[in-house]
Amino acid sequence: MQDEQTSTVQAEQAIVEKICEKFGFLTGKVFVQRKKRILTQPLDKEEFEQLLHYAHDELGFYRASHVVGTDDGEDLGFIYLLVNEEGVILALKERAPKSNPQINSMTGVFPSLELHERELVDLFGADVRGLPEGPSFPLPDGWPKGNYPMRKDWKPEYFDRKTMTYNPPREDADKEAKSDE
Amino acid sequence: MNEKRIIGNRIVIPIGPQHPSLKEPGCFTITLEGEKVVHAVIGVGYNHRGLEKACESRSFIQTLYLIERVCGICSHTHSTAFCQGIEELSGITVPRRAAYIRVIIAELERLHSHLLWLGVAAHEIGFDTLFMYSWRDREKVLDILAEACGNRVNYGINTVGGVRRDLDDNVIQGISKMADSLENQLKYYLDLVMIDTTLSARLSGIGKLSREDAMKFGAVGPVARAAGISYDIRTIEPYGAYGEIPVKVITDDHADVFGRTVVRIREMLESLEILRFCIKNIPDGGIAVKAPRRIPAGEVISRTEAPRGENIHYIRSNGTDILDRVRVRAPTEANWHGMKHMLEGQYLADVPITIAAIDPCYSCADRAIVINSGNKTEVMDWQRLRQYSIEWYKKRGVDMASVKMPESKAYF
Repeated sequence: MQDEQTSTVQAEQAIVEKICEKFGFLTGKVFVQRKKRILTQPLDKEEFEQLLHYAHDELGFYRASHVVGTDDGEDLGFIYLLVNEEGVILALKERAPKSNPQINSMTGVFPSLELHERELVDLFGADVRGLPEGPSFPLPDGWPKGNYPMRKDWKPEYFDRKTMTYNPPREDADKEAKSDE
Repeated sequence: MNEKRIIGNRIVIPIGPQHPSLKEPGCFTITLEGEKVVHAVIGVGYNHRGLEKACESRSFIQTLYLIERVCGICSHTHSTAFCQGIEELSGITVPRRAAYIRVIIAELERLHSHLLWLGVAAHEIGFDTLFMYSWRDREKVLDILAEACGNRVNYGINTVGGVRRDLDDNVIQGISKMADSLENQLKYYLDLVMIDTTLSARLSGIGKLSREDAMKFGAVGPVARAAGISYDIRTIEPYGAYGEIPVKVITDDHADVFGRTVVRIREMLESLEILRFCIKNIPDGGIAVKAPRRIPAGEVISRTEAPRGENIHYIRSNGTDILDRVRVRAPTEANWHGMKHMLEGQYLADVPITIAAIDPCYSCADRAIVINSGNKTEVMDWQRLRQYSIEWYKKRGVDMASVKMPESKAYF
């Protein structure tokens, strides 16, 4: 069973070996999850960009499906999904702290990522440097600044759709109520 | 309104959010030089409903119902991708009969989606007879779906661990009968497209997206396959029962709206073959296994071949029954990027058909209605609704009862 599993992921394993051979510092950070799926652990900005360029230029990952934004507590996560002609998905992960969520746009390599990176800006508050000019996506005009609805601490129940304002309860409201008692 | 609309000999016109090609909103800001489009900006997002945020506060079973409503036309493909993801995380194997039922519904969905597209495309170029024909034929597929699932769209047949309804012999026979009558019609449409000079003159060379550009902009589905890219998830990563079913990937090298039309019609003929294989080889047995209440922590990327192309779901679980993150990449999202390229260099009159040719998504309304009159509430079933519509038209001088629809009536 183990042998069978190993033989079915040979192509994926070969890609991982090529990556580790080229970038020794990625050994252990890139792995085959299952057939047609190669994942990385969250990488630094420089590591991420080097690998993404290499995957596009040398490994035949010509297509970028989309980017998944994630809220990982103190950090924001960005998962770039690249696909090669055989349909193997390479999921490259990048991470940036919420205090400085700055990443570089990859639209220079993959023009198809434009809308997905705009989504990171609108929904997660990422600071994507180098995005081409264009209309924002997907939030409407007049959306209040500093409100990033896909962050875990943003609660839809506090958003007033009529006035387009976000009104969370004050943190000290509970304490005041208790002291009154 | 202060924006400058005329710059030198160029004029900027906003097409949309309400626009001539679709019933769904999207703003295409077109810069024209004479009649030619020199620049296009795609403005989408009007229909963003925050479904992914809503998924993060509901259990995975409640999420399944939300996911089914991502799209009104290809709801089954989304629920299949989602269920597959949860099943992979939980280590569940779906019974073979359930896997076949999922394929049958998926192919029926592909048929009705492509027939709908054919009608819309015909309407965009002023060929309303073909529009009426293909939507009439789509009813045959929707009738079968209604009988198999209880609804024309948003079928609700998938559940984590299998399917919620078995297919009885009536439905299986109905599919076989429908496949025979639809095949004749589809062959006729294919002949029409290949022979009719007006149609090929109107569609050829419009909305060009070469193989290289399709790869560069990440095009999927019939848009990519019409550019000669043999990319179909049913063969690249056979999911469910597709591993046991022969699937022929349809490609074409026209790389324009004409090619996309040919690919979609041939894909429908291929879908009929898949349906015939399924109803001949569907195994007996159970239709679902029990799913655990909590999903083990982990992440999964699940994908299916929707009628419009590759559909990808990213799911991350934190070990509870509420998922940490669900990201849905519907196929239209991948095809928007090639759209800008397709529009530039086109004539203004070709913009609607070029937009429609990627088959962007819009919803189809349910026909079952609840009538409230005073204190009385009653539910209208399919037969009564059909009768009501016939009488409604008769009162206004149109006798729909004289229109023969033997195939549609045969199932009810």
